[in-house]
Amino acid sequence: MSAGRRSVKIRAVGGIAFAQLRRSPSRTALAVLAVALAVLSVTLLASLGAGVVAMGEDGLDTADRDLWLSSEPVDPAASGTENPVVGSHGIAAELTQRDDISGASPIAMHDVYVGTDPDDLERRPAVGVQRTHDGFDFEEGGGFETPDSAYDGARSTTPQQSEIVLDPAVADALDVSVGETVYVGTSRESAPQYEFTVVGISSYYSQFLGQDAVTLPLVDLQAVAGTTGTDRSTFITANVTDDADRDAVRDELDEEYPDYDVRTSEEQVGAMLEERPIVVASGLTLIGLSVVGGVVLTVNLFALVTYHQRTELAALRAIGLSRGVLAGTVGAQGLGIGVLGGLVGLAATVPIVRGLNHIAVSVVGFEEVLQTPLEVYAVGFAVAVGLGTIVAVVVGWRAGRYARIEHLE
Amino acid sequence: MIQRVLRQSPARAESSSGRAESAVPVRLENVSHEYGTGGGRFGSGPDRTVTALRDVTISCARGEIVGLEGPSGSGKSTILHAIAGLLVPTDGSVEVLGTNLATRSSRERTRLRRRHVGIVFQRFHLLPSLSARANVALPLVQLGVARSKRRSRATALLEQVGLADRVTHLPRELSGGERQRVAIARSLAADPDVIVADEPTGELDTATGTDVLELLTDVGHDRAVVIASHDDDTLAAADRVVTLRDGVVVSDGG
Repeated sequence: MSAGRRSVKIRAVGGIAFAQLRRSPSRTALAVLAVALAVLSVTLLASLGAGVVAMGEDGLDTADRDLWLSSEPVDPAASGTENPVVGSHGIAAELTQRDDISGASPIAMHDVYVGTDPDDLERRPAVGVQRTHDGFDFEEGGGFETPDSAYDGARSTTPQQSEIVLDPAVADALDVSVGETVYVGTSRESAPQYEFTVVGISSYYSQFLGQDAVTLPLVDLQAVAGTTGTDRSTFITANVTDDADRDAVRDELDEEYPDYDVRTSEEQVGAMLEERPIVVASGLTLIGLSVVGGVVLTVNLFALVTYHQRTELAALRAIGLSRGVLAGTVGAQGLGIGVLGGLVGLAATVPIVRGLNHIAVSVVGFEEVLQTPLEVYAVGFAVAVGLGTIVAVVVGWRAGRYARIEHLE
Repeated sequence: MIQRVLRQSPARAESSSGRAESAVPVRLENVSHEYGTGGGRFGSGPDRTVTALRDVTISCARGEIVGLEGPSGSGKSTILHAIAGLLVPTDGSVEVLGTNLATRSSRERTRLRRRHVGIVFQRFHLLPSLSARANVALPLVQLGVARSKRRSRATALLEQVGLADRVTHLPRELSGGERQRVAIARSLAADPDVIVADEPTGELDTATGTDVLELLTDVGHDRAVVIASHDDDTLAAADRVVTLRDGVVVSDGG
């Protein structure tokens, strides 16, 4: 067949397909909606995944640290995180003494009971840090400073500073403000022994943990948790000097501290995801199901349409149109539906992501839970085209099947 | 006048051959056709063989209109489908323009039908989403005729069947008679040598049916036309009537 004849047929097939789609706008709209929903579910789930990863990275980036030393990937969202790093102040001091590291500090996490009434305490995640900084962006009050003596190993088994920073939601729940006193302990029994003064209101670590948290000096958290002796922390963060190679420092530390893993921020997030194969698999399964659902819905819809058109298709075959032209005519409709639905799905992604983020802010307090980088749109469009192609192939094949003489009688 | 326009097809100029012009357009010799009922849906019922045609011999010359008469199930449609190459009989030969369709592949039969056989259905079978002109032009798509030529050819055919003012109308905007005229125009698009019409007036009132028959008679002037019908008025338009009973020719030339 010459190129000219092929071109004539392709254009004619496109024209007939377009006319068929235009003939039944409600059916076309339904099919477009089916594909759009499939694409939307892919883009929204992918956006959620991208947002969660970005939040993790942001959380780690917000700490503004280059390296993380821990025994396992740190899960900021896990409640009651273990504190596996032993002798953390000593390790931090060793790290700080290196020429290629400008500073290192341990961070501990522990669930605590906090409240204004010893008989009415709430369980909250607590973060123990050496100091607060400008990044806390205090809504009210300010931060605390760990006394230098703490760095020298002169730590006490009882809280020394007894100062605490509360998340705004915790402050609201307890109905306290800066200057007031709260009880803090790792059990309901021990909490009444320790009175802490609220010195600031900030959600800084809540964003990192994914829960409304309280922040207190590390030595004080160790004191109330009873880990002062072993000097436990969850991980140790470190910054390298400007002229140091971060990856090279990481490799050296990895060798120097074989009991621990040393990771960059990006590796930390990656390791967290690797630790959660079920979560990743669930996400991929949901995406797969949504794509399969979209394919099944659209293919069924078009198969039904093709079945209803069986006499026309048989007649067209009888007047001499080839099976290829018939399949092309019906298949082009499927492809058109797929691409159109894909574009609608991608276009709808933007406002829906915005809306869901708005809801997320008001419900759980997190911003940008869903993030849609260009790669997500690319995946969504690929799914749409893939869907369109599958639909085109299946319904085109069915068109050829239905173009039989029996359907003329 | 109609013949002059209908013989101006570019498709015909490409497809016609000396053999096509000289051979008897339609000749069926000792054609028998059987089909099985398949033993029920799940193969549990009795497996029966039904004889649709038995030892049928008929022919149709150029310029002749042959009517096929008989009750439902007598084999009229089977003969039309065999002539159009839509089915291959179990036995015998079906020659169209000298080519025995019974020995040809499905693709070859389709190619011959596309160029040399026009079909008119009882229920028109127009594509509802396309205009009258686009429906008429459909067979030319497969022949690779350019859009502008398709349009002018289809418009000319519609003018000739009296539908000059219905060119851009959709099938649902046309009456039954007008739809059948569009279907006849479509059957003529590739300027075929043979036209088969299955109950062409079956869905039409008497007056409209008469108009359609006049049109078929007119276009059949230099073609072989085979019409299957129950209707006496339709059969009266034929030059020769073949009567069928249970797949057997009981009279030829009545």
